[in-house]
Amino acid sequence: MKARLALTLAMASLWHRKKVLALVCLTLTLSVSLLLGIQYLRTEVKQSFTSTISGTDLIVGARSGQLNLLLYTVFHIGDATNNIRWSTYQSLKEDSRLEWLIPISLGDSYRGNRVVATDENFLQHFRYGRDLPLELAEGHWFEGVFDVVLGAGVARSLAHQVGEQIVLSHGGGRTSFSNHEDTPFTVTGVLAPTGTPVDQAVYIGLDGMEAMHVGWESGVAIPGRTLTREQAEDRDFTPDAITAAFVGIERQVLTFRIQREINQFAGEPLSAILPGVALSELWRLMGQFERALLGITGFVVITSLIGLIAVLLTLQAQRAHEIAVLRATGASPALIASLYILECVALALAACVLALIIGMAGLSLASPWLLANYGLQISLRPLTATEWALLAAVPVAAFMVALIPAFGTWRQSRRLGFGEAADQ
Amino acid sequence: MTSKTDSTNNSSRSTETAIEVSGLGFSWDPVQAPLSFPDIALKRGDHLFLHGPSGSGKSTFLSLLAGMLRPDTGSVRLLDTDIHHLGPGARDQFRADHMGVIFQQFNLVPYLSTRANVTLPCGLSELRKKRTEPTVADEAERLLAALSIPEDHWQRKVTRLSIGQQQRIAAARALIGAPGLILADEPTSALDADNRDRFLELLLNLAHRHNTSVLFVSHDQSLARHFGNQLELRGDRT
Repeated sequence: MKARLALTLAMASLWHRKKVLALVCLTLTLSVSLLLGIQYLRTEVKQSFTSTISGTDLIVGARSGQLNLLLYTVFHIGDATNNIRWSTYQSLKEDSRLEWLIPISLGDSYRGNRVVATDENFLQHFRYGRDLPLELAEGHWFEGVFDVVLGAGVARSLAHQVGEQIVLSHGGGRTSFSNHEDTPFTVTGVLAPTGTPVDQAVYIGLDGMEAMHVGWESGVAIPGRTLTREQAEDRDFTPDAITAAFVGIERQVLTFRIQREINQFAGEPLSAILPGVALSELWRLMGQFERALLGITGFVVITSLIGLIAVLLTLQAQRAHEIAVLRATGASPALIASLYILECVALALAACVLALIIGMAGLSLASPWLLANYGLQISLRPLTATEWALLAAVPVAAFMVALIPAFGTWRQSRRLGFGEAADQ
Repeated sequence: MTSKTDSTNNSSRSTETAIEVSGLGFSWDPVQAPLSFPDIALKRGDHLFLHGPSGSGKSTFLSLLAGMLRPDTGSVRLLDTDIHHLGPGARDQFRADHMGVIFQQFNLVPYLSTRANVTLPCGLSELRKKRTEPTVADEAERLLAALSIPEDHWQRKVTRLSIGQQQRIAAARALIGAPGLILADEPTSALDADNRDRFLELLLNLAHRHNTSVLFVSHDQSLARHFGNQLELRGDRT
């Protein structure tokens, strides 16, 4: 019965001071939303990141560090140290233990997006996320020499349609001064969005890569030496070299042995890396920052809880008469102290509920924007146990900080005489 | 200190004692001689006027009676219970069950409505809740009506009401659930003469109906005529 009275009193008291407390509650709500949001995005981004590539057992490139190889083949960041000879690729292809190979040839760009020269194996064997295959949203995979397939992000941001002609640029970088103007490519297809770097690249055939570089041997186009589309049709464009290859292994127990063999390949120096290992190493590097971010957010919540206590302590001065009345009417010091705890925890709970609503609304509004601008596919999902625990920690922390004014009031009201208001 | 307790008042309907105080002494400062208080024997249902100018130890005496301070010497028996033999929790509960209180001012919990202020003791005491008839809300409304609080004020915040109305609401809170004793500490000092007499009349009539004793403390000797029993507090040190 007294618990009910305490609850009624606490709620009435909160409502009575709603103007001041609404502001405090807002501060707390925002900080809890921030905490929850960061934890949520952390999980989502990690999920999205570590599933950038899946199903590929080895990535083979010229001798270099595993992070570098991963960055330029999968994330399109940085440049290759060297190429792999075509003959080496051919000998790998003959290895019966390798189920499939995706050749990758890099070096050009299209308005800041990488041009990836590959073949039909890319569409067939490349996997991302939970073993998801690539799909074409529109059109078909490239067939002709001057066909190009666009990643979803490129197609959306540049508003390209199937059938349009585009001119690729020589070299990387967002602005290039030398364009392959003689050899425009025709868009034949657009890939469905994946939320991975695949969206931010354009795909052509290895022969297309060769064809557009005829006459570019010196690094710039020599007039008269470049090909026209018509001239290119019946020529053979077997490349001399490729940049890297994604490898699928038939029996995965052999992965380490094959990796060692490739690393010790006699023909030229090669590196074979396990993409999963490289990805988690890369994440560990970035994980420091996101943990620091979460830590900072934790402090933001603690700061707003301290703000809440400061306000409660200020309000305590106004409550002296009310406490005198409650004491004289027979309320125990514990009951009066419990009012502070109930009020504080109720505010924290309200802040948590509001933060959940704000978070859900914010996420459903922001997720199309995140996908469009950052290629991040973040969807609404039920909270994980960690996130619930983080959320539950807020009322628990509120309970603990509420003990400060509660204990003060308890001690004070024990010594209170009849009709006496506690002096501040 | 003189005791003029007059027990011949015939309004008592029970032989129970409401207040029995003997040899009460209390000292705030162990170096000073303790304050001594008069002995009281008040029958259940009788009212007592306690005249005390400021500095006579009124507040200390009321705190001792209410069980909120512990005396150095002597005993306080209320409704045949020695309240200083009870533990702190039991003393609080005793107050909730058997005592109504009215202060000089700031009597009400500011964030509760008029009715919620009146029913407050019933939330703290099962005994007083049971004594209301037929329900807590009905009794609160009956008391408010008897104390002439207009019906449209019942659900209002108490902070918007006049001092006179606030004091009458405090009286209703003290009376609800028919406690054995009401401690009233200068409840009329903020009221004008008309309001003062009306307030006292209503309070004493309703208390009489519930067989509740009223211990009324005031520095205003002119109010003594409403009471059968009178006592002077002088704040003597022994």
